[in-house]
Amino acid sequence: MKKQWISSAAFTIALAMTIGYTTQAQDTGPRLPDGKPDFSGIYTQPATVNATGPRGNLIFNADKMAPVKPGAESLLYHPRTGDTRLDEPRAMCLPSGFPSGMLYILPIQIVQNPKYVVIIPELQRAARIIPTDGRPHREGIEPTYYGDSVGKWDGDTLVIDSVNFKPWILDDYHYTDPTKSRWHTDALHTTERLKRAGNKLQYQITIDDPKIFTRPFSQDFELTLRPDWDKMGLLEYVCEENNRCAGGNCRDSAAK
Amino acid sequence: MTRGGLLILTIGLSFVIGSPILRAHHSEAAEYDATKPVKVTGTLSKVEWANPHVWFYVDVTEGGKVTTWGFSTQPPGALMRRGVTKDALKIGAVVNVEGIRARDGSNNGSMRRMTFADGTQVLTPAESAR
Repeated sequence: MKKQWISSAAFTIALAMTIGYTTQAQDTGPRLPDGKPDFSGIYTQPATVNATGPRGNLIFNADKMAPVKPGAESLLYHPRTGDTRLDEPRAMCLPSGFPSGMLYILPIQIVQNPKYVVIIPELQRAARIIPTDGRPHREGIEPTYYGDSVGKWDGDTLVIDSVNFKPWILDDYHYTDPTKSRWHTDALHTTERLKRAGNKLQYQITIDDPKIFTRPFSQDFELTLRPDWDKMGLLEYVCEENNRCAGGNCRDSAAK
Repeated sequence: MTRGGLLILTIGLSFVIGSPILRAHHSEAAEYDATKPVKVTGTLSKVEWANPHVWFYVDVTEGGKVTTWGFSTQPPGALMRRGVTKDALKIGAVVNVEGIRARDGSNNGSMRRMTFADGTQVLTPAESAR
């Protein structure tokens, strides 16, 4: 009997400790007056969780992608053409687009109110203005580099649904392989899930491109909140200011 | 060889294949030729603290003739958040720069390593900075 009591007490203590730990580990940070988590702040670039391969923090890992449909390899990988606008668009100051524009070495700021979440990568300062008031995707808009995004809350997780993309580079794969670049099609549909855990923002992107892949696949990233970067804030980023060797032809400096 | 500067320019695939510094980086294939490494020593003559990449210029003196080389490195934002500001690049400082040459053959390149005379390196290799 005594043995049973001790064992039961130990179990209760262990359970209490586990609950306490879990509560601490799931600290979801500050909240807006409407009770939703407030993600506002400046964060580090997303870093791949369990990154592998070259430039592993900043591109999708091929070994975690879904299988490519038969015959669709050429939609995913485009051989280098010699036209920099296609091979390495950012080198010509063309947009990185989404998701590529989220995966770069510069910080990302999130500004939030009850109606919108605005995600601003310092790279090209291309603000993604994401309504969270329940509206549907816009109709009659031509496809864009960053797609059309709407957000909704699933408990403490912000879920961003994006469609209507222009076919464009998927990520910075071309910096790891000089023979080709990696693309998505106009069928791309992404789902992002963002959740605060302490000073981290857990960030999952699900890629669904049914013209290329047999099924959707997800990759996990993590951003770190950097309150110490608030004072400096995001810096201006005018790519054309001094892109001296665009396309391989260096010109005189334009910087003043 | 003069006191003002030393220019060593080596072009050759065999060197590149054996270079762990270059192999550690992305291709930058549109602008720079990874098969054409460049290494110069000279004085820092100009800094452009601008996007998409900071550029700095090095005056290299050889045989009484001054040649100016330009090198790109990381974006200003990436350097500043590591605590590196424009003030870290003093005009007149003697620097040694290793990089790869621009495809058009001009005296420009992408920096791989920049070292001051005292051995310090404030601009770490520009990994992932394109």
